[in-house]
Amino acid sequence: MKILLMGHPNVGKSVFFNRLTGANVIESNYSGTTVDYTRGYMSLDGKEVEVVDVPGTFSLDPKDRAEEVAVAMLKEAKDAYVICVIDSSKLERGLYLALQIMEEGYSVIIALNMDDVAEDKNIKIDSQKLEQILGVPVVSTIAIENIGISKVISRLKDAKPVDVEDITVMRAGMNHRGKCGCT
Amino acid sequence: MEKRLSELNFDEEGIVKEIDESLLRQVAGMGVRIGKNVRMTTKQPMKGPVVVEIDKSFTSLGRSMAEKIVVEVKK
Amino acid sequence: MKLNPDERWDLIDSIASHVVTYGEYRHTLKDAIGELTVKPMTGIPIAIAVMYCFWSVFGSFAGTLCTDGFFVKLFDGYWLPWLQEVFPGKGGWLYSILIDAGGMTNGEFILSDNCFEAFGVLTSGLFVAIGVVLPAIVIFYLMLTLLEDIGYMPRLAVLIDTVLHKIGLHGYAIVPTILSLGCNVPAVTATRILETRKQRFIMMTLLAIFIPCGAQLGIMEEVIPGLVGYVLLYLVIGYFIFGFVLNKIVPGKSPEILIDVPQYQKPMMANVRRKLWMRVSSFFKVAVPFVLLGCVVVNVLYLVGFIQWLGDLLAPVFVGWFGVPKETAGPLVAAFLRKDLAVAQLSVIEMTQYQMLSAVVLVSIYFPCVATFAMMLKEGWKELIGSVAVLAVVVFLYGGIIHLIGKLLGVA
Repeated sequence: MKILLMGHPNVGKSVFFNRLTGANVIESNYSGTTVDYTRGYMSLDGKEVEVVDVPGTFSLDPKDRAEEVAVAMLKEAKDAYVICVIDSSKLERGLYLALQIMEEGYSVIIALNMDDVAEDKNIKIDSQKLEQILGVPVVSTIAIENIGISKVISRLKDAKPVDVEDITVMRAGMNHRGKCGCT
Repeated sequence: MEKRLSELNFDEEGIVKEIDESLLRQVAGMGVRIGKNVRMTTKQPMKGPVVVEIDKSFTSLGRSMAEKIVVEVKK
Repeated sequence: MKLNPDERWDLIDSIASHVVTYGEYRHTLKDAIGELTVKPMTGIPIAIAVMYCFWSVFGSFAGTLCTDGFFVKLFDGYWLPWLQEVFPGKGGWLYSILIDAGGMTNGEFILSDNCFEAFGVLTSGLFVAIGVVLPAIVIFYLMLTLLEDIGYMPRLAVLIDTVLHKIGLHGYAIVPTILSLGCNVPAVTATRILETRKQRFIMMTLLAIFIPCGAQLGIMEEVIPGLVGYVLLYLVIGYFIFGFVLNKIVPGKSPEILIDVPQYQKPMMANVRRKLWMRVSSFFKVAVPFVLLGCVVVNVLYLVGFIQWLGDLLAPVFVGWFGVPKETAGPLVAAFLRKDLAVAQLSVIEMTQYQMLSAVVLVSIYFPCVATFAMMLKEGWKELIGSVAVLAVVVFLYGGIIHLIGKLLGVA
């Protein structure tokens, strides 16, 4: 089992990574490129599990080399669990990436990070409802203060692949373009 | 009134109407999309990039990218 | 099932309408500072102030406090005399390589009295690596990491984009550029944030040629403090002139900047510490072996007379075209291994101020060190050959131009 940590740049991903893995981290080079990434290990139910801090990316439609690597790393680890770290104050943007990853068939868990920043900005997110709608675990975190990290770890086992079509069903009656016949 | 994003004045706001196909996927992940309110935060001199605010987040785009986005200016 | 961007956004909008409530938005102080530092009217003066602070802290901490205040005393006062005393075989070849080559005055063997001149592996080699380069690198990366983690770099990128776009790059090229002031090796890695091959080629070539690394800066601060400003001026001018030319002749596209400008945030110390440790330790894995190896190779080349031979061979070019003494040939050979070492060597050669300036600029723009070279090879040998070709032209042209400017100013 492998855990990928994905998210936009500047959402506190590397802080999150530090919290998960502790001090023992390895800087690696993605073969054939000059893109470096960090990986480390955390213990999960007494087992050592590899955690990879994937370079920050805004979407799975890469716009530079680092994003290309992020996408390649995701596609390579077909059975990986993905912790998608989202900036709570920018939920929509974060969901865009999270949905893309879910569409690829990965087991996703969403960390609504920087919850404090969102609170400062008077933004409230009902994480339970979000979890119901999406069908994947959603946890509020403040990585910088070590809040919510252990909950993310304990909920990892609940992550499972979700077909986005099922999410579409949830919002029947709302204004949308109907079930799409898209690729 | 419709304008190109690059033509918005400082602090002027508008609604995104149209994004050129060549740019659509690139900017989608950053939250730049049709129907969103956009405010011009800064325009760098000498055809430098613009910084716009959408959904409380700031994105910087090159001038010619901004020319490929059409907005409806708010009064 | 996969969605297209529009469908995805529609879905997100309806999800968001169920789970998010936006209260009244309070503009925070962070927002205000965020805007002030990216608007040109206020942002540019602030950026200049930030860079100036960066430079002063760098110089005073690394140069004055650590190197002059501590390491020079330690190495010259205790380490060098002790080694000179206890190491056997004074005047022998092993002694020359490891401890002190010394000098012959009136047929008498005289030991050096400081670590800049001794040039042994265990004396100058260690002194340069630990006494000069270590503090420079630590303080440099500490400040850079702080600027990154606070979220200042994207703003700097936006402010400088206008200029950098004119040389085929875009604002984010400021990241490899500044990183390169620490060490060219990770900077080559950082060119990944540029989109096209053209951009990466221009960036790599420019940073290999025109950006002096932290080791070099540290030693320049140490041995020619009054000239560092001028050296940097020549390098910056060269960066833009040749960047402009490269942009015109290298085929390919130069996409524009497209970046997120994040809110400022408080850096987490554990994170800063980890990043700093990684950068410094990986620098040292590369640097220390090369500094020491550089000492060995250069000393051996001196001993066998190769440097003198090369100096004589290149004398017409050096003296006539670049206007520097022919003894600078040695440092230029050393520069291929470590540029900091080369600057240290230059500092003990007799020459005028302007010759020193020209020589240091030449060392800077001349070949990237072996480690950078290897890194660039990893990016592709075609790029490397291209860069080397550009480099040869630049060294020749720019060296001549600097000489000419000196002549016109009447200082050469």
